[in-house]
Amino acid sequence: MPLKWVFNWQPNAGSTVNSQILNEVSQCVESMNGVKEGRWKATLTFYKPMLRDQALAAEFPREFIGISLPEQPNKYYFILRGNKIVLEADSSIQLIMEKLQSYKSRVALNFEGFQYQLGDFQLRVGKVVPTHSENLRGIVMEVEYLPISSLEKSKQIMDEFVEIWQEAVSKRSLPGHFMHIEPNFSEYGLADHYTSQHTAVQYAHVMGHLIATVQAVQAGRN
Amino acid sequence: MECVVQGIIETPYVEALEILLQGLCGVHKQSLRVHEICLKSGPNLGFVASEVRLLCDLEQSEPTWTVKHVGGAMRGAGAEQISVLVRSMVESKASKNVLRLFYALGYKLDHELLRVGFTFHFQRGAQITVTVSSVNKMLKLHATDGDGPVPVTPGIQLVEVTAPATSENYNEVVAAVSSFCEYLAPLLHLSKPGVSTGVVPTAAAAAASLMSDGGGTTS
Repeated sequence: MPLKWVFNWQPNAGSTVNSQILNEVSQCVESMNGVKEGRWKATLTFYKPMLRDQALAAEFPREFIGISLPEQPNKYYFILRGNKIVLEADSSIQLIMEKLQSYKSRVALNFEGFQYQLGDFQLRVGKVVPTHSENLRGIVMEVEYLPISSLEKSKQIMDEFVEIWQEAVSKRSLPGHFMHIEPNFSEYGLADHYTSQHTAVQYAHVMGHLIATVQAVQAGRN
Repeated sequence: MECVVQGIIETPYVEALEILLQGLCGVHKQSLRVHEICLKSGPNLGFVASEVRLLCDLEQSEPTWTVKHVGGAMRGAGAEQISVLVRSMVESKASKNVLRLFYALGYKLDHELLRVGFTFHFQRGAQITVTVSSVNKMLKLHATDGDGPVPVTPGIQLVEVTAPATSENYNEVVAAVSSFCEYLAPLLHLSKPGVSTGVVPTAAAAAASLMSDGGGTTS
């Protein structure tokens, strides 16, 4: 399948994310002749262990994440970042987890917005909001290059596109920038040929950055 | 949800059972070689203990994994009346990391088995699966090859008849399974798991009859 890079919006020190930034980013895509195609939505859920003795919490994974992706409606993904494990399963795995009652959903977030076609690229721009809330927690972007599935072979063209994109965004003088740090996919046992498991790992890492950003803002306030 | 009955048959009569099933089902058997890993939650995990089964299909060139949760059986006076077990069951295909994932989540190995045999999948009032297999245990952890697996009950194989069901249609599925099981009565008795009935006294004669037909049931 085509490879993609997932970006998250990194606000400048002292600033926070807001819907005006999201609007500006969307306008930026449209100004590059991006053709709006429709909506997209991914969900991410943090699971916590149900423990009889909370003092033993350190024995269990601190971050157990479940992800559903729009391009794989019948699949569900689990990621344990600390253990570098990614699992692809049928959607029914969620029902199994409910029946086991060993882990329960703690927080669920939606990544949702519009997708655009830009030549051989498909862009998705989305807000990060808790389910049942409009409280904006972040902004993400996906850049998908449709002709190639190899991470290695696509690197140059993706770098070139991102350079053009970052330049277009910087002209709007927004208080932040999009950041992409590629996870070490081989640590998760993933190969050069791109799959939805790669996407799930990227989203889990984006969450890590989002959490760190929110915590930094809170620390700054305190 | 699924409907289940089980029975046992002595190994010499398995070939006759296969002939009978071939005739009844009208489809070819599929070979079965499944490594079943049963995991239990560790002592502190969950307010109630939980179990999950990981099934690794070794028959394919690339092993495939399934996660299976078997829940409680339907209870009540109605459930006791019927001769088929109706229970909650959820399955999910999963990628090969699934055992590592569950170990990392705090699940421990309870036991593991290797099932070797064959299955028939067919439609007869319901989507029915008949599995005939020897149940083997591994002498060394996860050792499914070589001299490792030994039969848990030498000379005896397990026969399982299952069919998926929903809360809306389980009565029809129960009827379809019960009706099908009557055809197997000369060779083996099928009943709810946990209700042991032993081997059937007519099995030897029935098997001899099936074998002497030259396997001549039409497909």
